[in-house]
Amino acid sequence: MKSAATDDFYELTETIDKVRETESIPNLLQSISHLYGLKTIAYLGVGATRLGDTEPYIAVTYSPDWVAHYKNENYLFIDPVIREGFNRLMPLDWGDFDVSEGRTRQFLGEAVEFGLGRQGLTFPVRGMRGDRALVTITSEANDREWQGVRRHYTRDFQALSGHLHEMVLRTGGIETPQINLSKRQVECLWWTSQGKRVPEIAIILGLSHHTVKDYLEEARDKLNATSNSHAAFKAAQQGLLFPGL
Amino acid sequence: MIKIVEGCDRALHGGLIDQMHFMRARVFSDRLGWDVEVKDGREVDRFDTEDPLYLLSIDEHTGQLQGSVRLLPTTGPNMLRDVFPVLLDGDTVQSSLIWESSRFAINPDLSQTRDDANNVVSRTTMELLCGIVEVCQYAGIAYVVSVYDARMARIFKAANCPATILGTPTRIGKVITYAGMFEITDEMHERLAHAGNLSGSVLEKSARSLSAA
Repeated sequence: MKSAATDDFYELTETIDKVRETESIPNLLQSISHLYGLKTIAYLGVGATRLGDTEPYIAVTYSPDWVAHYKNENYLFIDPVIREGFNRLMPLDWGDFDVSEGRTRQFLGEAVEFGLGRQGLTFPVRGMRGDRALVTITSEANDREWQGVRRHYTRDFQALSGHLHEMVLRTGGIETPQINLSKRQVECLWWTSQGKRVPEIAIILGLSHHTVKDYLEEARDKLNATSNSHAAFKAAQQGLLFPGL
Repeated sequence: MIKIVEGCDRALHGGLIDQMHFMRARVFSDRLGWDVEVKDGREVDRFDTEDPLYLLSIDEHTGQLQGSVRLLPTTGPNMLRDVFPVLLDGDTVQSSLIWESSRFAINPDLSQTRDDANNVVSRTTMELLCGIVEVCQYAGIAYVVSVYDARMARIFKAANCPATILGTPTRIGKVITYAGMFEITDEMHERLAHAGNLSGSVLEKSARSLSAA
């Protein structure tokens, strides 16, 4: 049973933030697993690679045997972590799963047989574009030891999961720049999304024709869009288009 | 006691979430006059469809819904970023260690039908705030950010629950609106529990294994 010291934790987040190549991810997971004395670590992300790519992104330190077995048995549809995790906010302790359903019990039993460890803890991650991920750690700790170390793992891995997800987005070619639109830009885009044209928006907002055009041009630049309606669409897609005020 | 309900499990809790939406309509639309959308008597906004986590304060004896609050991660869609960015002067709050709380509501019936009205309102308020701290501690969350008005600011002050104000409080519509950040610590839990005269965990029994960790 090991726990990483504070210095190790910060060093680790820096290391994760510097990763640029997908190829280095498996080794990184191995070293995190080692640092924390874990049995395995797994990352599963959806919507985390290039737009239009619907395949989930998976990086695991599981044994090849378990990965093959998992695929053969179509466990993606039975795995309670996957079934429940993506829509949740609270970390999932595998000990809390309802094992009254035979398939779930069998699945968790086989996971132990294949060397995943007796304890599992899964952290759901949410991104801004509908991208979501699950980071799972497993441990050989017995129940009593687990009660003692879980809080420590939770504290570090809630943060590390976020860093790992950002890393996958970055290496997958998704830039995550902060796009900050001004209130006026949002208003102009919102009316554009409602089918209004520049002269109408100018009247609605009590601005000059020119000013509205300027706001929309700035918004197009920020969103890298080819037209006003394209900008409105992109802004809506990224959850930026909400005339709250 | 505090019941924890994941948004995706809303159907599993015998209409409690539906009751919460009715209660929110009465609080935010009828009483506070906020510009919120009410449909068929229920106040529901788009963040309710983003798989939030709800904390419900339930009377252990009667099963009555006493109050509720909603939590969202700041790494996903949230109100501060999507509705109130003006409060932050261009800054952003986005971290896997920070959750946002919103739609803090106390059942208006509590102050009408009970003799010990003040007592039960304040107890419910503290129970919900303690619930937030306990749930966040379980999840490894370090801070909670919230957008609130003078009404809540007074409650936080009375509860000895200090906030760090982010950006500049701003008049929105009729109310001065604050964005505040709260540190999730054992000390914060103690202060709230003391103010609410609560002891031990406020979470319902089936969720207590959570706080034991």
